[in-house]
Amino acid sequence: MVLAGRGLIGGRASGTALRSAKAFTFAHGVDPSTGTVTDIRSDIRGENVKGRILFYPFGKGSTTASSWFLEAVRLGNFPAAIVTEGVDLSAVIGSVMARVIYGVEIPVISGVSREDCSKLPQGSLVTVSSSKDGARVEA
Amino acid sequence: MHLDPAQEKLLRGESGEAKRFAMEVATKVGDAVGAESLVPIKSAHVLAHYSSLHEAGIDVLERYASAGGKFAVPTSVDPASIDLQNWRSFGVPEEYARQQFRLCDAYAKLGGMRCWTCVQYQVCNFPKQGEIVAWAESSAVVFANSVLGVRSNKITAGMDVACAVLGLTPKFGMLNDENRVATVSFRLAAGALSDLDYRSVGFFIGRNAGGRVPVLEGLPANVTSDEVKHLGAGAAAAGPVTMIHLPGITPGSRSASDATGREAVEEFEVTRSDLSSVEADLNQTAEAPDLVAFGIPHLSVNELGQLAKELEGRKLKRGVKMYVYTSGQAYEMAERTGIAETIEATGARLTHSTDAEISPLKQLGFRVVMTNSAKLAEIVSSEGEIKMRFASQKSIIEEVTG
Repeated sequence: MVLAGRGLIGGRASGTALRSAKAFTFAHGVDPSTGTVTDIRSDIRGENVKGRILFYPFGKGSTTASSWFLEAVRLGNFPAAIVTEGVDLSAVIGSVMARVIYGVEIPVISGVSREDCSKLPQGSLVTVSSSKDGARVEA
Repeated sequence: MHLDPAQEKLLRGESGEAKRFAMEVATKVGDAVGAESLVPIKSAHVLAHYSSLHEAGIDVLERYASAGGKFAVPTSVDPASIDLQNWRSFGVPEEYARQQFRLCDAYAKLGGMRCWTCVQYQVCNFPKQGEIVAWAESSAVVFANSVLGVRSNKITAGMDVACAVLGLTPKFGMLNDENRVATVSFRLAAGALSDLDYRSVGFFIGRNAGGRVPVLEGLPANVTSDEVKHLGAGAAAAGPVTMIHLPGITPGSRSASDATGREAVEEFEVTRSDLSSVEADLNQTAEAPDLVAFGIPHLSVNELGQLAKELEGRKLKRGVKMYVYTSGQAYEMAERTGIAETIEATGARLTHSTDAEISPLKQLGFRVVMTNSAKLAEIVSSEGEIKMRFASQKSIIEEVTG
């Protein structure tokens, strides 16, 4: 299966799919020291984002989300890539900061609908490639 | 993204390393979000609190400061993680305070206004209608777009300082007319609204609007700017909302059809039972609270005065603390006018330059926190460690004072 999206932050990554159907935030929602999702309203609470291809429809909440994300990067507990439906500015900025501060590349893709994501089985192996010319999610 | 010759120079480092670094961040983000250009801003609002910025945030801010960076526009700052004046008396560990003060030092070196508040638009940062700003703090961004008619995206940590150092921001999102059109409608059908209801209405909108810009109809004509502040904070805590059209309040939106550009949009009715569901969701326990927190976002002087009236002559019951969060400026005004004395005579504490949701509540040993803030209830409860209770100011005071 191949899903097309918009490449916000370029790069390639592969990993297993971690998919949430709800608005998502790293702020108070992911423990940066472990990568575990702690948000009690998340449908993937208890899962770990480290090395995963993380799917969610939208960001939510605090503008601090990008710094929680960056702390997870500093501590090595970050997702391999992020795929969303709407643009989550926190993911974009977190990924840019990850590159310029810590030299870590985390592709970010938007424009992939919840309905399309729901066809990806949780935990399935996924490869993403993202560039200005477009983005592909292959499962 | 198209850069003009002066911006190209910044990117080449001809105005120093701090601006070069800021340009690298701003152009990468601008390219990612499809911005055509960088445009001047009138002011910035940045984050510098340890609880959410962590060590990584210190790395970022110190990198700008050590490179000799200076804010190019008037810049205010969100609350710190500790009361910068009285932190010791709140039991904050030295090591925690030390990390916060590293952020304070870096922020001061960059030349920011030291007003440490999430309601900068009531205190120290006053753009006028139609101007572009780059503000962090989700609740303030909603207020800017919805009430002031000021244009801001929700600029998140890392990007905030880049915009402030450059005096520029990528032109995208809420800066463009086409993205400010309401595409979903909410109509109040819940009767008279309490302080709690305003927060719950916001929360309901945040949950249901998704990535769309909402219009809200049916607010009473005498709604206060403080009530709108709390409504917006609830919405931004619950979802990606950056603007709510409030017909009659939002510049350019005299009616709902102005807001939607006369297009048909999905409509939600906000009923009493919707508000009850929000309350049920944000109430996690019936246990007695060990902390009551008011002022998330910060209370204005008016709100402090109202709280003082409701608290006058009462005493806090044993076993519960009450912290009332406000800006340093409102704190001083409350001290000069006797409001602080009335509040503190109950055993409550007035605290400034910090706020509950970004303070180390867990490390300070709190287990059950009661508030009328949907924002605090959402944020703290999402971590799953402290249990939250969500109730109106009046019913909280009834329960915890005698």
